[in-house]
Amino acid sequence: MQDRFIDPRIFSVGVMYDSLKKRLSLTCLTDSEGYNRMVVSPDINRPGLCLSGYTHKFMYDRIQIFGETEIILLGQLSDQERKSAIENIFNFPIVCIIITKDLKPPEDIISAAIESGTALFVSPLDTTPLIHDLTDFLGEVFAFHISLHGTLVDVYGEGLLVMGRSAIGKSEAVLGLVERGHRLVADDLVRVRKVGNSLLGSGDALIGFHMEIRGIGFVSISELFGVGATKEIQSVDLVVRLLDAGLVDEADRSGLEDKFMNILGIDVPMVEIPVLPGRNITLLLEVAAMMNIQAKDTGCSSAERLNRKLIARMGRKKLREEYDRKKDNSSE
Amino acid sequence: MIEKKITVPNKLGIHARPAALIVRAAVEFDCDVWVESPADKVNAKSIMGVMTLAASGGTLITVSAQGDQEETAVETVVEVIRSGFGEEMI
Repeated sequence: MQDRFIDPRIFSVGVMYDSLKKRLSLTCLTDSEGYNRMVVSPDINRPGLCLSGYTHKFMYDRIQIFGETEIILLGQLSDQERKSAIENIFNFPIVCIIITKDLKPPEDIISAAIESGTALFVSPLDTTPLIHDLTDFLGEVFAFHISLHGTLVDVYGEGLLVMGRSAIGKSEAVLGLVERGHRLVADDLVRVRKVGNSLLGSGDALIGFHMEIRGIGFVSISELFGVGATKEIQSVDLVVRLLDAGLVDEADRSGLEDKFMNILGIDVPMVEIPVLPGRNITLLLEVAAMMNIQAKDTGCSSAERLNRKLIARMGRKKLREEYDRKKDNSSE
Repeated sequence: MIEKKITVPNKLGIHARPAALIVRAAVEFDCDVWVESPADKVNAKSIMGVMTLAASGGTLITVSAQGDQEETAVETVVEVIRSGFGEEMI
């Protein structure tokens, strides 16, 4: 997983190299001229067909992977054939090339890459694992995303997205959570992206782990509370909406009603908490997180379990009453 | 002090959801409101209390109130019960 979300608008080959250098053990065989080309697609391409002459529908706007197939093919060609194969590729403004398995590319492909300003990387990984890893990474970068007004905090591993109108006390409540040892992910602006069937949230790189607390100003959570109080990326597991006291009769008393908020097509469980003077919102957030964990573990909420017990008791009571009535009737 | 009797009209009886509806109606009033089953008498503004009655469908219960607007309070709560909470009736 990445440290922070990368903005697809500034996702160039250089940014990709920086992010994947360690993970894929990449080495660059060319100069940095190719770093400015933009990566515009989450897909990758094996250019075997293009090398052998079939350039129709060549996906040049993808990252090109040279595996054993491509390198062996190039090795088997005569000098003349290889020259035209390399021309076929570099006639297009391709994004960049990654060679797998530490294979040694022919000298003329390196010089052609440098000449055309294309970056050429080598990785020791096998082709299939490299493609999986790279596709995962690109999928995250190009995932659907949305910016939400709220605060994201990790409570016992559960991602709580606290929402509500401005000045209702989201930041204060979350500050309380941080003080209790939970971890801030993002305050005020949360970038949420859809990865597979889950939502991942993160903050803005500029804002970092600052919180704006009315009356105090910007507070750096990582500096005040230490790195343990912050987290870069967290899944969004529960939405908590803080409501004004005026809307209190809309709030659920029993916890039996399941509410959801749809974010990027995924229904996230939601609870609505009315804010009243004297209520300890921090504590309520912590409890909401614990209940969500418990509901996931047991398959149903504690309200539901209590209600089942109650209905079962009513059933037994009814049977007993009927029995008593029959007994009374027969004794009369 | 006003009292009114009513039979719980829905099949499942006063489980958690109906109890919440009764409480939501009762807290609107300043007066004291109670719900009474043959076994127990509880504060109608307490969800745990109302649930403890375990009043199944067909049970005869008594709603009572004392204080400001006691009549309207009893009427309102009885109306909520009579509606069957939007559930399947007996």
